[in-house]
Amino acid sequence: MTFSLNEIEAMSKRAARGAGLPWGLCEEAAKGTRWLASFGLPGPALLADLLELNDRLPPVDLSPISLSGDWRAPAGRLSPLIAGSAMSDSAMRMDQGDTITMVNVSFPLLVVPFASGAALRLQGAVTVEWGDVHLTTDGLNLCIQGPDAALNAAHANSLRCFASAGMTAPKAPVVRGTLDSDVAARLNAFAHRTYAPATEQSRLLGAGAGLSDND
Amino acid sequence: MTQERQAGRHVPLRDPRDVMRLARLGALHQSRLSFMRILTRRMARENWRFNRTAFEINTQGVGHAVYTAHTPTRSYSLVAFAHDLPPEQRSDRVIATAWDATFTLFDGVPTADDITRLSQNVPLQEAGRVSQTELSVSRANRSVRLWEHVVASLAAGDQPDMARIKAVGYLMRTTAVYGSGKLGAADREMIADRPEFNPPFQVEMLSVFLTRAFVRDLVQHMANTRGGDQTATLDGNISRHMGIGNSTGLGMAPFLLNHPVLFNNWVAAREEALARVRAIKAARDGEITLFEQMLDRSALSAQQWHSDHPIQIKKLAQLRADLDSTDLRAPDPWDTLYLWAEANLSLEGQECLASLLLEPYGALVDELSEHMAADNTPTFRIAGAMTLGALRGILETDYGWALNTDWSAPENRARAWYVSEEKLEPRLGDRFKEAIEDYEQPLAPGRDAATLFAAIAHWPDDTPVAEFLLRHPEHRHILRRAQIVNRAPYAEIRDNTIAETVLPIDMLRCKLAFFGASHFDPRSDRWVRICMYGGAPFPEDLCPDTADTWVYPQLEDDT
Repeated sequence: MTFSLNEIEAMSKRAARGAGLPWGLCEEAAKGTRWLASFGLPGPALLADLLELNDRLPPVDLSPISLSGDWRAPAGRLSPLIAGSAMSDSAMRMDQGDTITMVNVSFPLLVVPFASGAALRLQGAVTVEWGDVHLTTDGLNLCIQGPDAALNAAHANSLRCFASAGMTAPKAPVVRGTLDSDVAARLNAFAHRTYAPATEQSRLLGAGAGLSDND
Repeated sequence: MTQERQAGRHVPLRDPRDVMRLARLGALHQSRLSFMRILTRRMARENWRFNRTAFEINTQGVGHAVYTAHTPTRSYSLVAFAHDLPPEQRSDRVIATAWDATFTLFDGVPTADDITRLSQNVPLQEAGRVSQTELSVSRANRSVRLWEHVVASLAAGDQPDMARIKAVGYLMRTTAVYGSGKLGAADREMIADRPEFNPPFQVEMLSVFLTRAFVRDLVQHMANTRGGDQTATLDGNISRHMGIGNSTGLGMAPFLLNHPVLFNNWVAAREEALARVRAIKAARDGEITLFEQMLDRSALSAQQWHSDHPIQIKKLAQLRADLDSTDLRAPDPWDTLYLWAEANLSLEGQECLASLLLEPYGALVDELSEHMAADNTPTFRIAGAMTLGALRGILETDYGWALNTDWSAPENRARAWYVSEEKLEPRLGDRFKEAIEDYEQPLAPGRDAATLFAAIAHWPDDTPVAEFLLRHPEHRHILRRAQIVNRAPYAEIRDNTIAETVLPIDMLRCKLAFFGASHFDPRSDRWVRICMYGGAPFPEDLCPDTADTWVYPQLEDDT
């Protein structure tokens, strides 16, 4: 089934919130998922996997302990949303030739949208690579190299991000996403946690009704 | 020409700390830069053609119709479905499940297969599904007050009573107009590079413009069905007064908070326009005459503005008094007049004047409509190298009001925005009386900025925000906003959006004024009815002479 990218973004944001992430990271998850979906990549499915893996865990457990040296999480595995955000926030370091290395990162494809943000900030291309996978983006387009299985891997032992020379065979985004109904259902199950149960009081007070509207 | 008259003068943009207060935003008026007027000007300028390619509606008022607008390069079709709605199901509330009419704006001209597919989905609204060839989805209900009167009058061979038409202002009111990818429709990115859709909300405004023609035709059809040969044809001078109503609840209020860059661009365009006009050294006779005409017509509009809600009646009284006391013979140009207004008029009067001042100067300000859209991509990413010292400075400058607010006082955080389980719509609840805090949406930037300010108090000035966020991801949302406001000063409402005293209608009014709506009629502090396209030409009457100032009633209409 096809979805608008806005729908994918909205669904992802609510799902991330339902899994306990702070709002700022939910926004990152939503934008990133939308970005991946626009290239036909399974961002929504991987997000659902990640939210199930890290459901309601404290973000700090899955964050880099330090931005110096290789990035590692206290709990042993990095969240790609948190480490990816930190990578985007640290974009200027890559401009100076640094490589950011993430050790043991879950669902590495979810890091790639943050490289697009970094690329826009650096006004140059940024490469993300793990195993046999190399992805380069200038922020708008994406070059994909590597087998699907590795691309959609649940885990990468080591992932590197760095500023790179340029783009070969770039792919442009399409403005439509596809989503299996089971992925949508998994994300919506998380999203559902963010909705306050309706009460008659909120039904009347909350929406401001009460006057006749049939006139 | 106008550039010369501007030489040497500089009038600064109004301070966002004044402009972005809720009381002022809640007093905004439509202007040349309102989205409806941007559209009608373009349609006339580009000589868009319109035709009705289907009107298959039976004697019960059930069926479909298609209205197509042809731009110089593309076509867009309103596909309208008319229904026979039992009165007990007629509700403006978003939780309604059936409507008098439902619509979609189709990208192109629909085939019979498209109509079949749409007929199975559009009438269901949220319970249906559309595709990327659909640009909007909307629905409307009849004004029971007026519909029967118009049908009965025409069927009896008479024209409807103008006073009754003016009292209501519309035959149908939309209760939602969805665009930008909702319910599976096309994302804005798919159409944003089309010049006609560059300014915001042009899809929605086109949909409503065509809806108005459909509603006029439908009421005539129903009258013809009832009255047969003796039925009168609705007089064009009467139908012109009929706009399309809109009933808007809380769902729209968070929009301005959720789209800070877009909101900034709307306000910044209007502020830039105002500053340009205030910078004009000498006004020409024709410009003064045009201003005076629009002022008189605006005063007439205020007199015709019916509202039962006490808050609005008070605002109306202020506006009427303000307009009556305006010295139309003021010898100095617009800056003087504006500064006088700032010192002497209510916010309602000041903002009415600010919009009116733009009227004689289309050549100077209309191009700003091309800068009201927003691409959020560049501002979304956090600049992690910014120091906490710089962030502190932004918070002190742009959230000063919030840092001076006592957030421990219950009245300052009495409300919470949340999303309800049914219909997934934003609601505003009582934080201390309802079990909603766990579900709170991030719609209180002032409180969050003050919390962030306290959280960085013990951190060194030279620490990059990236380091801080690694420890405190809970501040990522508001830190992003602060960086946005630093670049886009009109992005943030500089007022408490969760205070006991907050009036969500201020946010609704602000957004609807940018749409170009008039005759705001709040039904409560969080639900407002308005009129769109009242006085506007119908498609066949649209031309450069009729395309722009229709929003002001004609003085000869004062009967």
